[in-house]
Amino acid sequence: MPTVTFGEAIRQAYEEEMIRDKNVFLIGEDVGRWGSLYRSSRGLLEKFGTDQLKDTPISEAALAGCGVGAAAMGMRPIVEIMYIDFISISMDQIVNHAAKWHQLSNGKVRLPIVFKTQGGAGRRNSSQHSQSLENWFVNIPGLITVMPSTPYDVKGLLKSAIRDDNPVMFIEHKSLYFDKGEVPEEEYLIPLGQADVKRSGGDLTIIATSWMVSFALKAAAQLQEDGISCEVIDPRTLWPLDKQTLINSVKKTGLCLIVTEAPAEGGWSGEASSVVHEHCFGDLKKPVKRHCGMRTGIPYGPTLEFDCIPSVNSIIQAARDLVGRP
Amino acid sequence: MMNELKEFYEQMLLLRLFDQQCMDLKKKDLIYSGYHPYEGQEAVAVGFCGALKPDDVLLSTHRPHCHAVAKGCPIEAVLTEMMGRRTGCSGGLGGAMQFIAVENNFYCGSVVGSNLGLATGFALAMKQRQSGQVCMCIFGDGASNHGTFHEALNLAAIWKLPVVFVCENNQFAEAMPMKEFVACERISMRARGYGLEEITVDGNDVQESRRAADAAIERCRNGQGPVLIEAVTYRIRGHYVGDPEATYRDPAEVVEARKREPLVRARQKLLDDGTDPVELEAMEVAIVEKLANLEKWALQQEFPTLECAVDHVGIPLANAPEVRGPLALTH
Repeated sequence: MPTVTFGEAIRQAYEEEMIRDKNVFLIGEDVGRWGSLYRSSRGLLEKFGTDQLKDTPISEAALAGCGVGAAAMGMRPIVEIMYIDFISISMDQIVNHAAKWHQLSNGKVRLPIVFKTQGGAGRRNSSQHSQSLENWFVNIPGLITVMPSTPYDVKGLLKSAIRDDNPVMFIEHKSLYFDKGEVPEEEYLIPLGQADVKRSGGDLTIIATSWMVSFALKAAAQLQEDGISCEVIDPRTLWPLDKQTLINSVKKTGLCLIVTEAPAEGGWSGEASSVVHEHCFGDLKKPVKRHCGMRTGIPYGPTLEFDCIPSVNSIIQAARDLVGRP
Repeated sequence: MMNELKEFYEQMLLLRLFDQQCMDLKKKDLIYSGYHPYEGQEAVAVGFCGALKPDDVLLSTHRPHCHAVAKGCPIEAVLTEMMGRRTGCSGGLGGAMQFIAVENNFYCGSVVGSNLGLATGFALAMKQRQSGQVCMCIFGDGASNHGTFHEALNLAAIWKLPVVFVCENNQFAEAMPMKEFVACERISMRARGYGLEEITVDGNDVQESRRAADAAIERCRNGQGPVLIEAVTYRIRGHYVGDPEATYRDPAEVVEARKREPLVRARQKLLDDGTDPVELEAMEVAIVEKLANLEKWALQQEFPTLECAVDHVGIPLANAPEVRGPLALTH
């Protein structure tokens, strides 16, 4: 199986879907000439032209609205917001319109739109270019929120998101674009709303999202050396949440650690924790533990930002605390 | 031309009486949300919204009911939407400020300025498909200070999108008079900043409004869009029924405005040109009767159930039926 980067897997998804359906188009800042900031659409402008690759002015409100209007007309826009931090400018179009029109039209208007963006720390971009804002969208009825963690997942999930008739928030991580992984040559889809067990284990369940999945897997490998067997679950879709996969795992292990880069307070990690408590209370040996990013603006500098988000070592420590082997 | 004016007058009279009926329903608490009266602006609805073909798209505002009727939405569906009944455009879930009538290509919403951004998307699809359709986006003077106004006009202009942007200038952004929130003389002057022509029309003159609309629509159909038009009118009533009007305008100003409102002007012109006043009275009697019957029917319509309220939150995923709302209450 070929090994490709996360960014290349995205490019393949775009290419396949743009060939499959001429209504699919990518719209955003520098998605054409540059092939997107992290080159995930490189070469596509030459292949598909400006009808399917639309470079736009720096106008996040208009281009989000443009996507919603085009989707209402039956097109399948992928609206790229270069950094999730800039999505604050688009929020009205996403929250008040994209998330509402299906309901306001009695189910007649379908909005097959993907708002595709990237967040998170790791590239020394400070507090206005490094946030984890996925929690905002999980709380909005009418939106689906996806956070892929591997090249294989991003391709299969993006293809499904493009084909889905709901508005989908598709949130990548800026530190993942150059990660490599196996991606099959034959076509595949990954259903939205389905979690993935990234590693099986019996002592502890670690639920991690986005970039934190790879951290959790590294932590689990080291913990295994000390005889602590971790099951690592990636929900992949934050909402709708595949509760059953979480529940099955925690019923088996009796311990649950949730790892997100976003601050814990008011976030999805609390939702996941609540689901586990509500469904696995009798199976839990201890309360669910959350290990999340600090409640601070991501700081600048060569390394300081890494101290504000979970690391492999801090996940190991949190896991050890939970299993009672500090 | 007299036949045209008589036709327009009849349409404007319907909107005037419909608006008054809605105000009464609001006072009786049969329209539940804030209700934004349209009185005095009827020439814009008939002149502009009425110029569109059925498959053209209209994006309206939080003051949408007369725009909707002028676009061709069934008045029954518009009224019962405002009254929260199942027969409404949005099944009674949207109300007086936000509803969608897909069959009539009509959309509106209660966030000022959003529709300019949305218009670019409808128009982009129309342009790429070479469908010959046009998107009209109607908004108020207040919306012209929204960031989306700038973003959308610029985007539409650089891509030559078939959008007719109509700034329905009723002189007030809620309680703020225009002279306090716009430093330039005319909002249409801003068109030059986007490489567009500056067009201002008398929004109380229904025939002038229609001619401007026809020309703008034609330009857009020919691929020469977009167009920005400022239609100058006056909001005779408050921002909403019962707003504290004394805080922002002198009652004498409204008395003056009533002398220049579009129905008074159209009626005078018809009479000057020899129309029999009896004919106009008969026209009014017929509309009043129609609206009375409409209200009687509307009051018998059912309200949506809780199931209706949560049935279309999202399209269920094969793997995750909980994308729908109901289970969110019980999980």
